Parts: sequence; structure tokens; C-alpha cells
Amino acid sequence: MPAYILLIGFLFGIGFGYFVQRAGLCFAHGFGEFFTGRGQRIIRMFLVIFIISSIGFLVSGYVNPELGLKTIGQLRGYGFWNVVAGAIFGAGILLNGGCILGTLRQIGEGNMLFFVVLVSFIPGMALVVYVLNPILQSAYDVHNILLPDLIPVAAPVITGVLVCASVIWLISLLKR
Amino acid sequence: MARKKLSHKPLFMVAGFAVLNVIMYFTIHKFWIGGSSFLPMVGKLGPNNKFLFAFLVNMGVIVGAFVGALTSKEFRFRMPRVGSIGRGILGGILIGIGITLAPGTCTTSFVIGLPMLSISSVLSITGMFVGAFIVYSMTMAKCSVKNRKGNS
Repeated sequence: MPAYILLIGFLFGIGFGYFVQRAGLCFAHGFGEFFTGRGQRIIRMFLVIFIISSIGFLVSGYVNPELGLKTIGQLRGYGFWNVVAGAIFGAGILLNGGCILGTLRQIGEGNMLFFVVLVSFIPGMALVVYVLNPILQSAYDVHNILLPDLIPVAAPVITGVLVCASVIWLISLLKR
Repeated sequence: MARKKLSHKPLFMVAGFAVLNVIMYFTIHKFWIGGSSFLPMVGKLGPNNKFLFAFLVNMGVIVGAFVGALTSKEFRFRMPRVGSIGRGILGGILIGIGITLAPGTCTTSFVIGLPMLSISSVLSITGMFVGAFIVYSMTMAKCSVKNRKGNS
């Protein structure tokens, strides 16, 4: 990868960080708010992200065939490992009060507890990369599946329906 | 003045994040990712430095958050309290395990995976709700026990 792409990525990162900081976006706080019945703020934020990103990613495929919808990460063990990993991740973010974006944001805001959190990723990642992955590799049975591969409905229809539903939901939340 | 007002509206700022992500996808064919981006910290740079790129994006996020906090006078240098360090370390280790056990399991599922209609993200988010709810329930139970002891 050329060095200039790395630099451009870093510059995009600065933009992401600025927006995330000004928005106060953190899904760990969002979970907390959601469980205490005050989840409207994070739902509104999620809906805005979902609507813009869904349309953008879908349209990208028409602009450039190399782009379009792509699988994120890997589906491991028919989803079993995804659910397990999600549960561990969910427990972790609620324990320290910061998701990935929230952790990076808090470091930028000067909260050094989250630097400790970031450094603590290392033993967890090392455990999986160097110990668990070699053992579980055969059980992972990796697949990459998009929703349109599972149900016989075209991606634009699915995205269209979800975006419309999201817009209606967002408007109803903003009216309250 | 108008710019200042806009930067105080969280939904506009969240929209800015999403628009920037789409622009990044259109221009350099990459998008923000969370979990795997930290693999360079354990020596994995990924094919064609893919993870290194994502790591640098996230280092940029820290700088951007710093700029945002500084310009809005919200920057406050805080050293962690001793009592909260253990919780932070445990949480960090769990996050480290979660993000590598199934790639794509992290905040990326919400901001990229769902809009991409990725099945792995739907399952990851289901797991996140379960894990977060377990910790939330345990914390609430602990709080209510403390309160009862305090009242008696």
C-alpha cells in the first residue's frame, strides 16, 4: 500500500475523530442508556449513520463495480463465534464504558484510563491470535455472507425498505 | 457563529462521520474499521498493510478527537483513579478477545456492517446485546445490594 494512502487514511481519521468527539458518539454509553430506557439519543444517532451509509454504500456499487456492498469481517462457525465474540466484546465495552470509537475519543479528550484500556487490548488479541486461533482454525469454517445471499430479495429492495423504515422511525423520534 | 452552532448539534456531527466514511469509500475504496485495526499492536500488519492502514486511521481519530475537545474547551487531562484501572484492564482484555475471535465484531458492525447488510454484523450485534446486558444486570444487582445494605 503506497505511503500516500496511509497518510490520506490518517487525515480521514482526524475528520472521523473530530465528528465523533463533537457528537459524543459511543455505543457503550448507548447500551447503558438503552438498558435504562433512555436509548433515544443513541438510536437517533444510529439511524442517521445507517440511513446515510446504507444509501452511500449501495450507490457506490453503481458508480464503481469494485465498490458496492461487501461482507464485514468473517462469519465463523455458522455465526456461533460471532455471537460469542459479540458477547465478550459487549461485556468488555460495558465494563469500561467505551466502545472502540468511544475509547479513542476519550483518549483524545485526555482521559488516560482509556489509554490503559487500549493497551489492554494487546493481551486479549495476543491470546486469540497466537493461542486460540491455531487451535480453533478448523472449527471456524469461515463464510462471508450478505443478507441478499440468504433471502431471495435484491439488495436495493432490502436497503430501500430498511432506509424507509429508518427514516420514519427517525422522524417519529425527532417529533417527540 | 453558524459553524459553532452546527458543531454543537450531535446529529449533524454523526451525519458528518457517516458522510466522511462514504466519501472515503468512494475516493480510496476503504472505510473506517475498528477491531482489526489494532492487530498491528500484536505484530499483524495484514495483507498489503491493510491493518496498518486501519490503525493509522484510528490514530487519526485520537488526534481528531483531541482537536475537537481542544476547540470546544472540553479537553481535560485526567489520570485514571487506581480503583478504576482493574476494571479498565479487564474490559480492555475482553474487547481484545472479542475483536479478534470473530473479525468485524466491534463498533464497525453498527456503522459499517449493518449498512452493508453483512450477516456477521447482525450476529455480532446480537451477541453484544447479550454480553452488555449480562454486565449491566450484574452491575445493577451489585448496586441494589449496596443500596439495601446502606438502607439497613
